[in-house]
Formats: sequence, C-alpha cells, structure tokens
Amino acid sequence: MTTAVVPGRRRAPRVTHKRAIAVFVAPFATLFTLFYLVPIGYAVYQSTLVVEREGTFGPPTQVFGGLAQYAQVMQSSAFWDSVLRVLLFGIVQVPVMLGLALLFALLLDSPLVRGRRFFRLAFFVPYAVPGVIAAIMWGFLYSPNLSPFRPVTQSVDLLSADLVLWAIANVVTWVFVGYNMLIIYSSLLAIPAEVYEAARLDGASQVRIAWSIKIPLVMPAIILTAIFSIIGTLQLLAEPQVFRTFSSAVTSTFTPNLLVYSTASVPNVPLAAAFSVVLALATFVLSFTFLKVTQRKAFQ
Amino acid sequence: MRTTTRAAGVALLALTAVTACSSGSGDTGAAASGAAAACEPAGEPVTLTFTSWIPGIEDVVALWNEDNPDIQVEVQTGPNGNGGTYQNFFNQLEAGNAPDLGQVEYDALPNFRVQDGLVDLSACDDVVAAQDEFVDWTWQQVQLGEDDAVYAIPQDAGPMALFYRADLFEQYGIEVPTTWEEFATAAEQVRATGGYITNFSQADVNQFAGLVWQAGGSWFGNDGDQWTVDLTSEESEKVAAYWDDLIERDLVSTYPGWTTEWDNAYNTGEVWTWNSAVWGANSIMTGAPDTAGAWRVAPSPQWEDGGESAGNWGGSTTVVFQGTEHVYEAAQFALWLNTSEEALTALIEAANLYPATTEGAALPALAEGVEFYGGQPIYDVFAEASTQVSPDFVWGPTMTQVYNDVSDGFSTAISGDQTLPEALAEAEESTVAALEAQAIPVAS
Repeated sequence: MTTAVVPGRRRAPRVTHKRAIAVFVAPFATLFTLFYLVPIGYAVYQSTLVVEREGTFGPPTQVFGGLAQYAQVMQSSAFWDSVLRVLLFGIVQVPVMLGLALLFALLLDSPLVRGRRFFRLAFFVPYAVPGVIAAIMWGFLYSPNLSPFRPVTQSVDLLSADLVLWAIANVVTWVFVGYNMLIIYSSLLAIPAEVYEAARLDGASQVRIAWSIKIPLVMPAIILTAIFSIIGTLQLLAEPQVFRTFSSAVTSTFTPNLLVYSTASVPNVPLAAAFSVVLALATFVLSFTFLKVTQRKAFQ
Repeated sequence: MRTTTRAAGVALLALTAVTACSSGSGDTGAAASGAAAACEPAGEPVTLTFTSWIPGIEDVVALWNEDNPDIQVEVQTGPNGNGGTYQNFFNQLEAGNAPDLGQVEYDALPNFRVQDGLVDLSACDDVVAAQDEFVDWTWQQVQLGEDDAVYAIPQDAGPMALFYRADLFEQYGIEVPTTWEEFATAAEQVRATGGYITNFSQADVNQFAGLVWQAGGSWFGNDGDQWTVDLTSEESEKVAAYWDDLIERDLVSTYPGWTTEWDNAYNTGEVWTWNSAVWGANSIMTGAPDTAGAWRVAPSPQWEDGGESAGNWGGSTTVVFQGTEHVYEAAQFALWLNTSEEALTALIEAANLYPATTEGAALPALAEGVEFYGGQPIYDVFAEASTQVSPDFVWGPTMTQVYNDVSDGFSTAISGDQTLPEALAEAEESTVAALEAQAIPVAS
C-alpha cells in the first residue's frame, strides 16, 4: 500500500515479483483450493439436491431441489438438540478450561514458581496424546468395572446419561488446557519488563500485577483461544464417538458432527451436506459474534 | 479355443458341489431376464477386486487364485460392515469405483439395492442352478421379493440359540429355561445370586430384530409398489415389552456390546447367558477365555411351551457391485467361495462361519465336539435352529438409519426416560420419514 507513493518507478519490478509471488503462493493456493474450497463448494452443491426414484427399488436419481434439505434441517429436532447439547457443553467447559489455562500460565510466569520448565512440559504433555487415545484412556478410568478407581466409579456412574457429557468435558479439558496455556504463556513472555518494573515501583503486589497488567495485556491471546475452543466444541466428534464404546448413553446424534456422520452413512448425503453447511455457518456466526463483542472491550 | 476350455473348466470347478444342475454352459438367456445384467465370459484373463472383513479370507482366496490363473481375485480387507465398510462401499458406488465383489450382510442388501448398487445375477445360469443348494430362507433373503432376481450369493447364516454357563446353572440349582416365561423366572433367581442372566446391548438392534423374527414378526414389507414399516407389530411390541420389564427390574445388565466392559462381564461370570447366533461361539471364546469348558448351547427359549422357532442374527453374502465389467467371472468366484467344499471348509476353519448351503452345514468340520463347550457338538443345535428360521422376515432399505434410531431410542429407554415399545414407535416414525427423504414409496 505504501508503495503507491512513487507509482511510475515501482511498477516494473512488481511485475517480475508477481511471478515469484505466484510461485511461492501456488503450493498453498493449490492445496487450499483442492482440499478446502472445492470440498466446501461440493458440499454446498450436494446440499441442494434431492433424491427421486420410481417404485420400491427404482434406481435413484439426484435432481436439484432448492432448499428442500435445509427445510429438513430446520425441522430436525435431533440436530437442534445436538447443537444445544454442545452449546451447553461449551458454556461450561470453555470458561473452565481457559480459566485453568490462564491460571497455569500466570503461575508459570510468576517469579515465585520453581521448576518452570518441568511444569511447562508437564502441563503440555496431554496435548501430545492423540484425542482418540485420550478418550479411550479416560473411558477405562471412568468404567464402573474396569477402572482402577472402582469404589468411586461404582458409586457414581460417570458414564450415565446425566453425567457422560461432563465426563467428556473433562477429557477435552485435560487434553487442551496445556495447549491453551502455552498460547497465553508465550503472550505473557512478550510483555516488556519495563511495565513490570513500573508496577513494582508503584508498589503493586504479584497478584495485583497479574490482575491489572498481565491479564489485560494477554486478552487478545485469551480471545484467540476462546474462538478456537468454540469452534472445537461445535465440531466435537472423536471423544463422543469413542465414548459410544463405553457408555450406552451416547447416541448416534449426540453432537452435530456425529449426526452428520450417521446421516451420511444412511446414506443420505444431501441431508448430511445440508447439516454440515448449517453447522459451518453457525460456527462462523458464533465465532464472529464473540470476536465482535470481545474486541470492543479488549482492543480499545 | 484355449480360453473357452479354461472357462469351461472354471465353470465345472464351481459346479462340483452342484447335484441338481442341468447345464452349466451358455449364457444366451441374458436378454430374457429384463433388468438382469448380461453374464458372458470375458474370454481373456481378468482380475477382480473383492472387499471383505472375514478373518483369514486372504488364505481362502489364495486357494482360488492358485487354480484359476485367468480369474485372479485381489482381496482388500476392512472393518465389519456397519463398522465402516458399508460406508466405504456407498462412497465407492457414488464415485464409480466400487470393487467387483463385496461382503454384505443380509440386512444391508435392500439398502444397497435401493442405492442401485447390486448386479442382478439371474442371467448367470450357474447362479440360478445353485438355488437348491442353499437353505430356503437364505435364498429368499437374496431375492429381495422379486421372483426371478438374485442379488447376492448367500455365504453364511446366523441361526440363534442360547449360550449358557452350565456350571453356574448347576451350582445354584437353576433350571436352564426353555421358554421366555421360564427365562424371566430364572432371571430373578440369577439376580438373587448377584449375577445377571444376560446382557441387553442397546446397539445390537439386529439381535433384537432376530428376537422379533423368532416371535414371528417382520419389520418391513414390500409389495412391489410400496414399502410398509411395521416396527410396532404385535410380535415386535411383545418382545419389546418383555425386555423392557427385565431392564426395568434390573434383571439384565446393559453394557454396550462388543466392548471390553462387555467381555469382562462374561469373562468374570457376572453374565450367564447369551441368546446369540452361531458365530457367537467364536466371540465367547475370544472375549471370555477364562470360562473355557463352562459353556453349553441349548435351543433358544420359546414363546410357547414346546414351540419350535428360531431367530437369525447376521450372516452375510457375496455381492457383485454395479460398475463391474466381469459379471460372469465374479459370479463364478462367488459361487465357488460359498458352495465348494474346499472354500467352505477353509472358511469354517478360519472364521467359524456357518455355511448357508445344506451340504456346507453338514461338513465334517462342523460335526465335531468343541472343546470350549465341554466337547458338546454345538453345531447340531444350530443346524436344528437353522431349519426353524422363518423365511418371511424382510429387511428395510435404510437399515443403517433404522439401527441408529432404534439404538438411540433404546439408549434413552435404558436411562429410564422412556420404554422400549415407545422407542420402537419413535423409530418407526423416523424410518418412514427417512424413506420419504430417499423418495422411496412408503405406506404411512
């Protein structure tokens, strides 16, 4: 943008740069188009189809059906139930997880803590465990008969219909606290030392520094992790899918993505595509709204 | 010349087990069968692809490849049908690159048929001639209600019987139940000892369907013009109410099937019986190794005293998928795999399959006593059951959806928020909606 000051001189070199830019961008652009834009376009296209056939075993033909599938989505109580379920999940789990992540990050950053490198690694290690493996491991820990903590799991059935959502929330929290902590922590490290020095000269305690200086300054990082978490919550799939092998309370429509998966295996591909598109839009709207609301406060 | 003699040799080989065969040569009758695909030999060496999940299938196919250099079969293996392979098949059919042959269970055949995925093999004379070799109801299942059509070659059957812990029944002096009424009484007695008489797995909806099948019900009907959905028939409601009562009174456990937890319940003797299919014999051996020698098999409990009725759970077929260029060769292989003594013996040994042919079910490999079952010749019980399976049970065209919806409903019922009959009524509604969404005509 700033180059526009001397237009005549700059134009010639920019043409040759264009090729270089194209070369550098091409690998990304190709993959982005092939594996992101095209599939999304295809899903949108499929969501506009309806199936037609004649007779009980007539061969199916797919024809354009406008918004017929979206009408189905709007009427699907299973879909909206699953969306409400993950929203409830998110409202409870995301603040808990980010609260813990922030607390751990602040502790690591505080000059009072020893063994900083050890704790940083220890908190982060669960994230290195693949989500599916983590879910299997926790599934066994929760199990009434196979758990090493049987006295607990037999008196409180963590896999029952009432509690299984929160059992899953615990798994997700366990996996992602360290990851979010690391993002917040690296943001804390970027705060210039002079700010702290000034605060100390003014007589601020460590708690006061954390509350009045650190947290406001890392707010952008917290918002970033919150948006990642909101997206992740709406896309929950692996953990509930694994928990289906431990608990009879996890249905095939437990989360929106599970519903998409089981609809696609009917196979009712157009409806599954419509579910996906609506879910993507909902995720976008939710993240964007969150960003708008928080940005106003955080970045002023 | 050489290829024709080879083809003839192949045909002969596939027909070794055929006794009532009139003629194996010539396929000129293809046009007469209407929609049926032409069934002509390619006249040149071909390679077929075959996707299956049967353990040890590679070794069985290797036997065929050795003897048939001109029809080579490449096997791909995957998870069991509802575990992912069906989904792959549907995707491959949509993409136009399905394998030539595939493993498909009886209950999924209408689903593939309705997606136009199956080749009608009735133009292949050898296939039509093989009908008499198969147990009646298995052949009925692959015709999908059309008199002249053959959409798959039956492979194995899953007649159901009662696996039970003979030692525990004896130790506590409880009679092994022969009717469902006695079963409920025994359930109370077993519960009093601290165990459960059996486990109700909400995800094994096809097992539940087998129980409805035994009671004389059928979930679907197809008169050629439209489908009927009847998950709430009198028989179906009777079976649902029966199990609902047992669950309500905490007389049966409710672990999800096929999980470590479930294995553990059997292995520790917490659960005493399993009303399951013949292939379940293998599942107990691998899932509950500590109980070796303690199990026996008896006929399933009956609804009426002295009744003779059996249900069926599972069993699969070999299908030829749309898009294949070698219907004839694929049919030859499918026939060999499912009728020849060589292949069936190998399948029995590798995977404990229970053949769908009458001769296969009488093979020596199935006549012996089984050590795990205290030396009892358990297959005799299943042979008896196999003759008692009603041929009238019809599967619907969207079973994946039906299983999901019934299972979800059952799961709510197990949590105590509704009853099993209510779950069936809900699933019936959603099934009608699912059929309408696929533009499948359905009577509502």
